[in-house]
Amino acid sequence: MKKLFFTLLLALVAVVNSLQAQETVKVGVLHSLSGTMAISETSLRDVLLFAFDEINASGGVLGKKIQPIVVDGASNWPLFAEKAKQLLEQDKVAVTFGCWTSVSRKSVLPVFEKDNGLLFYPVQYEGEELSKNIFYTAEAVNQQAIPAVDYLLDQGKKKFYLIGTDYVYPQTTNLVLLEYLLSKGIPIENIGGGLRKEGDKVVSAGKYTPFGHTDYQQIVSEIKQFAASGDACVINTINGDSNVPFFKEYSASGLTADDCPVVSFSLSEDEFRGLPAKDLVGQLGCWTYFMSIDTPANKKFIADFQKWLSSTNVPGIVKEKRVTCSPMVLSYDGVYLWKAAVEKAGTFDVDKVRDVLESGSISFDGPGGKVTMQKNHHVTKTVYIGETKADGQFKILKTYTDVYGEPFLKGTFAKK
Amino acid sequence: MGNPFAAGPASRIAWSWLVSIVFLVTIQLGYAEDEKPETRQALASAITSTGDEQARIIDGLAETGSPLVRQILVSWPRGEIFLYTDPAGTIIPVTLDADQDGAGKAKAKRIDTGVWLTDAAGQPLTFTSQELKLAETDSKLRKLIRNTLDLLTLADPQPANRVSAVMKLGLAQKPANLAVLEARVDKEKDKKVQKALAEAIALIQLKNTDPKIQAAAVSKLADLHSISSLDIVKGVAADKTADPAVTAAATAAVKSINGYIQVVNFFGTIFRGISLGSILLVVALGLAITFGLMGVINMAHGEIMAIGAYTVYVVENVFGRGLDLSPFGMRISIPGLNATGAFYESYFLFSLPIAFLVAAVVGILLERGVIQFLYKRPLESLLATWGVSQVLQQLYRLIFGAANVQVNSPRWLSGNFTFSDVIFGYNRLFVIAFAALIVFGTWLLLTKTPLGLLIRAVMQNRSMASCMGVRTERVNMLTFGFGSGLAGLAGAFLSQIGNVGPSLGQNYIVDCFMTVVLGGVGSIFGTVCSAIGIGVVDQSLQQILLNPVMGKIIVLAAIILFLQWRPAGIFVTKSRSLEG
Repeated sequence: MKKLFFTLLLALVAVVNSLQAQETVKVGVLHSLSGTMAISETSLRDVLLFAFDEINASGGVLGKKIQPIVVDGASNWPLFAEKAKQLLEQDKVAVTFGCWTSVSRKSVLPVFEKDNGLLFYPVQYEGEELSKNIFYTAEAVNQQAIPAVDYLLDQGKKKFYLIGTDYVYPQTTNLVLLEYLLSKGIPIENIGGGLRKEGDKVVSAGKYTPFGHTDYQQIVSEIKQFAASGDACVINTINGDSNVPFFKEYSASGLTADDCPVVSFSLSEDEFRGLPAKDLVGQLGCWTYFMSIDTPANKKFIADFQKWLSSTNVPGIVKEKRVTCSPMVLSYDGVYLWKAAVEKAGTFDVDKVRDVLESGSISFDGPGGKVTMQKNHHVTKTVYIGETKADGQFKILKTYTDVYGEPFLKGTFAKK
Repeated sequence: MGNPFAAGPASRIAWSWLVSIVFLVTIQLGYAEDEKPETRQALASAITSTGDEQARIIDGLAETGSPLVRQILVSWPRGEIFLYTDPAGTIIPVTLDADQDGAGKAKAKRIDTGVWLTDAAGQPLTFTSQELKLAETDSKLRKLIRNTLDLLTLADPQPANRVSAVMKLGLAQKPANLAVLEARVDKEKDKKVQKALAEAIALIQLKNTDPKIQAAAVSKLADLHSISSLDIVKGVAADKTADPAVTAAATAAVKSINGYIQVVNFFGTIFRGISLGSILLVVALGLAITFGLMGVINMAHGEIMAIGAYTVYVVENVFGRGLDLSPFGMRISIPGLNATGAFYESYFLFSLPIAFLVAAVVGILLERGVIQFLYKRPLESLLATWGVSQVLQQLYRLIFGAANVQVNSPRWLSGNFTFSDVIFGYNRLFVIAFAALIVFGTWLLLTKTPLGLLIRAVMQNRSMASCMGVRTERVNMLTFGFGSGLAGLAGAFLSQIGNVGPSLGQNYIVDCFMTVVLGGVGSIFGTVCSAIGIGVVDQSLQQILLNPVMGKIIVLAAIILFLQWRPAGIFVTKSRSLEG
């Protein structure tokens, strides 16, 4: 009798458990919540949790509520791979949203391929990569660097100085830009920052400084001489807080945005929270989203996000002076693209969802405009060029609609 | 019968007068309402016309010298001019008012008349920017606009703006601008603008067909040491079709200008080296005292610098709009003085002594709380102070947030003056003077005051000094406090050239130890020499190798080799305590 009772109880527990499991779907969030990248990546965790709550409030995905599994990559690249493994093998998440730096993406890539997971990657990157398990909502080089250069060429700029932090994204982007500029008829001596050649092949274009570099005197004086002959501009891929000493030196040396504008690819609204924007007024930025986009969809997104922030009880979340920026919106777009694909496929099965995503029929009207997933795992979206204002926001100067994301650009530009 | 109809237009006119008066009162700057009607007409037709006629009108606008023309020409390429097609089909260029209503709509002002766009009933029409057609510009048009803007800037009151405009006109090499520039030569009083005018005129003369004038212009550019024209002169030198005399002159000019650039770079590099050295000196001097003299390996030195930097941040905000902090969940509001002008700009001077005192107090607390128990155990002090540095960093995160904070430099620290093309940034000149001053102050304190005598006595032989009646504990405390205060001053200065954040100290701590060890532990003069030495060598290597990463590696390798050869650093201190 007692035995039967226990069996019944166990069975009941099992049924309740399985019922609960049916009602939720596990989704991984893999970002650095501690360490050097935490400042940037925590914002992405916040916007993801916001998107999940928004979806859950409107009925979830295929009738299931999203249950986020948040893990901390701790700015430690091997740890990212371990955490990815945990998400895929232990928690068996349906999809993961995560990574910021290219090196973290490269370290989780083999894990996602081995376990056939699904990762949405939201931050501008250098391209030259295509994994069947990763969908890149990020800006490809031709959705950020190339439109920015087009804009500068259109402004009559003839000399380009390339400067960046010494790692894979700036190095690769600048090599692509070098090819592109040469194809546009810019002579090689008008590309500043220096070239490093191995034989005849250029292996590095531009000037590079280590992470955390603080002394930009020599470089800025070089830019000043470079810009003396007019029609010059600077392409800046410096990452992180080295931008502060760079721009302070830049403005102290008398260079202005009028004479020699700097277009930066790593400075979004979120970064301006810790930068003296006064030193950057008039300098350019290029992203597929700006907080200042004047559309009802964007205004609603910002208002809803702020409302969510004020009511959420996520421990340690920063509630004051929050802004939205391109990586955040691309994370958010990724969630909705995945949701649309799952609903169309009618299942969470990775292979089927991937087939739907690759069909090119999945679109989402996001805060930055319409985004459409392409067969090559990249996203067609709108690119904006903006000018920095003293309050750390951007004034939009130029819009390129429906730019097709193309990851493989090296060697595609014919020299004129 | 006609009366009701007659009243309509009359009241409409009165109403529009009222509007323009209100407008005049509300917006005093910029849109001068008394602009000549012809100027407004010309501006409007410049926007609506096309092709050669448009080019001619835009060129002609330069002669008006009107601020309105400047304003419209600046906003045109920025996409702030719109085209309105009235019911009759006439295209009217307008600007939108900055005041928007709830729906984002704003009143539109006609550029051709300067009055608001109204409907048939005289009510002002409102638009959002999307509802109107944008007055587009292409790169050819923008070039024309820039040329006119540069010509307008020739009469600007600021010499720097005039230099910039003159050089742009020169580099554009448009023969049409020659007469305007030549006319400016006699009127111009400023030396720098005069030089720019001479350069610009020579640059335009290069386009002359007469080889003699061309050759003379090239030589003139060489004499003027014109770095700006180097690219163009190089082009002339490489031009196979040019007259041989011109080519020869151009080749000589390229050589001469390149030689001049070498000289400029040489002196520039020395200046930049000294300024980098001064920064190293400022950050390392405090350590030279706590580590060099006292022998305490203080890993929290960097965090004490960060205290100085955060002090500047707080003081800046107190002078400005006040500060809201939320440490440990409490809300603290510090009211601001809302200072403006020179008083606000002087916040940095006030913050220096405060930074020194705050950092010194924290240093003394650190000494009393941790270090005093560890004087004879340097390894434990290394670990203990490293722990303290972690605690302090976390404390900064809790108080000021994990992100870096913004510190705006006062205006007098963010400009520069240029002498013979060598740029002397004010912040760089300031740090050199600042370093000299604190080294002098430290030297005075150590050698000319009774406290300095006691410090030296205790540092040389603690037990002997104690036997002679010196209160060594107290001297230790004050010395450590002084060293920490110097670190605070360093942090205060760093806030003007870099980031202020929880990890500020981490970026400099290695450089600090490197400087002190290289100079010779215990020798202040050695620290001065090694700081300036590292600075100049680092900048020179950057200049020679054109690669900051390699430069840094070579400097570090050289220091390692040097310390193999002279393990005690440049200046070996002979002290009894070190012998024991």
